[in-house]
Amino acid sequence: MSNVLRPYLAAVRSTLTAALTLENFSSQVVERHNKPEVETGGSKEVLLNPLIISRNENERVLIESSINSIRLSIKIKQADEIERILCHKFTRFMMQRAENFIVLRRKPVPGYDISFLITNTHSETMLKHKIVDFIIQFMEEVDREISEMKLSLNARARIVAETYLAAIAT
Amino acid sequence: MDVAFRKIDIDAFDDEVLREPDLYEEDPRGPAQALDEAKQKQVAVRSALARNDIVDALSIVLDNPPYGPNVEEAKNVSLQILLTILNTTKSTEISTVIKSLSMDARDILMKYLYKGMGKPGWGDISGSVLLGWHEKLTEIAGTGCIVRTMTDRRTV
Amino acid sequence: MAPEVYRIARAPITAHAFNADRSTLAVSLNSNDAQILIREDQEWTTIETLSEHDKLITSIDWAPNSNRIVTASQDRNAYVWQQTPDPKTGKVVWKPTLVLLRINRAATHVRWSPNEDKFAVASGARAIAVCSFDPENNWWVSKLLKKPIRSTVLCVDWHPNNVLLAAGSADSQARVFSAYIKEVDSKPVATVWGSKLPFNTICGEYRSPAGGWVHGVAFSPTGDLLAFTSHDSSLNVVYPGSNVVHNIRMPSLPLVSLLWTTEDTIVAAGHDCQPYVFHGSEAGWQETGTLDDQSTLGGAGPARRSGLAARSGAFAAFQAADSRGLGGSAAGGSASTDTKLNTVHHNTITSIRAHDGVKGQIERISTTGVDGSLVIWDVSAVSAVASRLGVMSMR
Repeated sequence: MSNVLRPYLAAVRSTLTAALTLENFSSQVVERHNKPEVETGGSKEVLLNPLIISRNENERVLIESSINSIRLSIKIKQADEIERILCHKFTRFMMQRAENFIVLRRKPVPGYDISFLITNTHSETMLKHKIVDFIIQFMEEVDREISEMKLSLNARARIVAETYLAAIAT
Repeated sequence: MDVAFRKIDIDAFDDEVLREPDLYEEDPRGPAQALDEAKQKQVAVRSALARNDIVDALSIVLDNPPYGPNVEEAKNVSLQILLTILNTTKSTEISTVIKSLSMDARDILMKYLYKGMGKPGWGDISGSVLLGWHEKLTEIAGTGCIVRTMTDRRTV
Repeated sequence: MAPEVYRIARAPITAHAFNADRSTLAVSLNSNDAQILIREDQEWTTIETLSEHDKLITSIDWAPNSNRIVTASQDRNAYVWQQTPDPKTGKVVWKPTLVLLRINRAATHVRWSPNEDKFAVASGARAIAVCSFDPENNWWVSKLLKKPIRSTVLCVDWHPNNVLLAAGSADSQARVFSAYIKEVDSKPVATVWGSKLPFNTICGEYRSPAGGWVHGVAFSPTGDLLAFTSHDSSLNVVYPGSNVVHNIRMPSLPLVSLLWTTEDTIVAAGHDCQPYVFHGSEAGWQETGTLDDQSTLGGAGPARRSGLAARSGAFAAFQAADSRGLGGSAAGGSASTDTKLNTVHHNTITSIRAHDGVKGQIERISTTGVDGSLVIWDVSAVSAVASRLGVMSMR
């Protein structure tokens, strides 16, 4: 299964590079306003077709793009209940600190675990290929993080149970 | 007092606003005709696959595909045909097959790849096969192909 | 000849325009003010700042013969600047004149007409304001080109006959209008685009096959051909006489700006950070290469920072964000996916202008981009395309 990871990340990387072609676009609905068009969704002509890249049913990336912003939502693999809880807590932890992440969205798009909102101001102040690198790295790491957390959780639980039951057994 | 007027979406009545159907030309074939064509292609593709001619099979199914909102059945049939071809191609042959496709065919193939990935678990879609094809196709056709999939409103 | 690179600022250059002898440059550095820079040796230094606008200046154009600058901004206004002696100090300063555009959305693009008696402002109000000077009241008045534009107009270009105007807009159409103003223009000679053209006649409406917003539009030096680039990564060349449209599909990211250097050569650049050269005729067009010779500019890429590999990247990114306030930009290099850009421009090129040469035989061009640099290229130094952003394979 891990040999599908490389083409999966390569596909996300190329799709993201293709989508990060942003420019400053003033709102045509409200004067003197400049809003991310993918969030307002008002003018259909400035939105592009959303694309989904999926590895299997449980892991997907949705990329919705527009003329001045893109929204990238990731559905992380959660095999069992523990992973589901860990993933939820982990993503919630990050989303509460979304301001420091700059490109993170405070709420995930429905159906996904975490969402990023990248606008033209981000692609102007940061190098685009570096933003893409960051997202890909994030995707690689998050699976590893959750497995590590699950392992350490299981280890701690075992130690706690052993100590407790050892105290009772004797 | 009747305050229902406050709920009206005034922008929806604006004539100038572009709506989805305005953005592209509709598929000139109706749903029935598109479905007929799709079934004919299915037959042609089966014979091509029997001869082990992958390029020919792909060119047939990628030529003038049904697109748009009201040709759902035809689209599903076309997707199924394409998936059979993709699944039967050996991974070593993928690059050569893509290189012999025309630019139009490559763009349409990319659209189908994304459509397939958007429906994981439908029919006999295999994520790894689609991703393998996507990687090779991007190497050959470039990110421009992906950009065209995003801008082209004629969704297959 | 190697390109001349000037790193003007750390901010994106939204628009740039040179004066007639290319000694002075007007730029907008992603701000409400325009700056006038003068060339001193190898540097460009600011000598004056033009501040009148309330919001981002989206476009600047400098009329070479009458020495006037027009700036358009997202605050729905445009100003025409003229050099006059300041009564107090006696120095020559730029004085603004407000233009009443009568648009109710942002202005996106502005260009002087060839005779410099009119200018066209593209706007998000789904209209183009064609402005001319009314000597009676001593102000600039505008007439609006509205039908059949259905979305924000992104770019405009004038035909050499001072009457026809090409416009590209976000509804994926490139259109040719007649911007004939009775008071200013004399009756135009018939062209391939038509004859007898009152204001707001549509002479042609074109669309790229795969759709996509039209980012750049330009008439050829004689005005008989039209080229436009759209977001589907393609360049289209229109031959109105034989009603043929050549569509060149690129395997790279979309092009944003283009310029005709001769009647059969176009230079275009965009999100791929390098200018491409296209050559062709009525029989067909193809891409011939790039002006960015990447073989000599070896990848002086960023050094791999392996220190962060000790902790996993996401945690480290959060930690960096928490302790040092660094944001989402990459803790690059710890994984094996470190992309390097080998092009001169590090970010999207937003505008191409002619620098040296006469119309129809441009020899050097200037480009500015989101990375804040101004580069002057020699048009004849075409080399094969070595790499395209996004198609680089990373292992």
